[in-house]
Amino acid sequence: MYNMETGAPLSEARLFQVKNFLNARGLTMEDAPDYTVVLRDGNGGIAATGSLCGTLVKYVAVADTALGEGACATVVSELVSYAYRGGNTHLFLFTKPENDRMFSSLGFYELARTKDALMMENKKDGLPRFLLELEHGPLENTGAVVVNCNPFTYGHLYLIETAVSRCSELHVFVVSEDKSEFPAEVRYDLVKRGTEHLNNVYVHRGGKYIISSATFPAYFLKDKNRTTDIKADLDLALFGGRVAPALNIKTRFVGTEPYCAVTNAYNMRMKALLPSLGIEVVELERKDGISASEVRRLMHAGQLEALKKLVPQVTYDYIVRHT
Amino acid sequence: MRIITTGVAGTMESSDIIVTVEPRAEEGVELTLSSSVMQQFGRQIEHVIRETLKELGVTAAAVTAVDKGALDCTVRARVSAAALRAAKSAEYTWGTKQ
Repeated sequence: MYNMETGAPLSEARLFQVKNFLNARGLTMEDAPDYTVVLRDGNGGIAATGSLCGTLVKYVAVADTALGEGACATVVSELVSYAYRGGNTHLFLFTKPENDRMFSSLGFYELARTKDALMMENKKDGLPRFLLELEHGPLENTGAVVVNCNPFTYGHLYLIETAVSRCSELHVFVVSEDKSEFPAEVRYDLVKRGTEHLNNVYVHRGGKYIISSATFPAYFLKDKNRTTDIKADLDLALFGGRVAPALNIKTRFVGTEPYCAVTNAYNMRMKALLPSLGIEVVELERKDGISASEVRRLMHAGQLEALKKLVPQVTYDYIVRHT
Repeated sequence: MRIITTGVAGTMESSDIIVTVEPRAEEGVELTLSSSVMQQFGRQIEHVIRETLKELGVTAAAVTAVDKGALDCTVRARVSAAALRAAKSAEYTWGTKQ
């Protein structure tokens, strides 16, 4: 039998032990978990551990001596119950690809995998339902763009207009994570209304499956200077392997990114990975160097007149009403 | 009994089952079951889950169950607990003293 310790979060000293335990098994704890479970054997040594970061189950590891004794099930069970008690029932999990069968047996379903990482979710119909509910046209010669639009500018509009002129049907995914200055619903609504005049453009919420804190956590970290190892591969594997085939997406359009190092690094990974999945990546020159961060700066400085040249009417009206 | 929130009961440990009961807009019980003994007892487990919900008068719910070889009585107990929690109901009688 094991003793269970839980911490929301764990104390420094215990967290240190967990980090060492993980390091010895080739895992590195990169962010501070909200909740951690530790199983200890009779001698006080760690037998198994696992953590929860928001809706992500991460850092699950079991000592060799405890394998096959249900320690992993106990840990995951406790993490899932904790998340449910907090009202989070849709969970995601990161692990190594070789653990796929173990986590399948704990009610997780595969979303995407790379050679050293596997992403799963605990709803069997999670991704399939998301894909099924996306509105679309005849799905011939389909392209896609993924945008945050914080807020929607003439630069984004130009990207969308140019992209749709080069394909027959364009799907625009607006990032749903609420970690930007403009709320997710506002960003989505501005893009939706700001592109109403364009035919063959379908605007969607990116939800949990397109650049979310589940698929691409680095994008939402404060420290945007850490560009090495940004871990965008799962997001791209999910897009290329599951989302694109569902909508027959053959081209992903992207604007050049001179300002944000993380986005730029993401674009580089995109060019490296998507072509092998049959998706062409087309980089379009950014229109007049318009950037959403410049728009926010002018907005805070109260220079609303200057915004007229940078953002479409819908965005301008919204900003005027809310400042 | 009307399901108004998400209710969970059970664990993923051996011989147990974890059951999640959620609201569903349409009538009917939508069940997603995975089990370590699916081949042998999948149908029986599904039967017990559906019967238990029927007895409780649950007619609309989305139910997810991850089974690790639970006995019928365990399945019944976990389903009841999850459903009652999801209905925010306290209308149950635990075993009474003889």
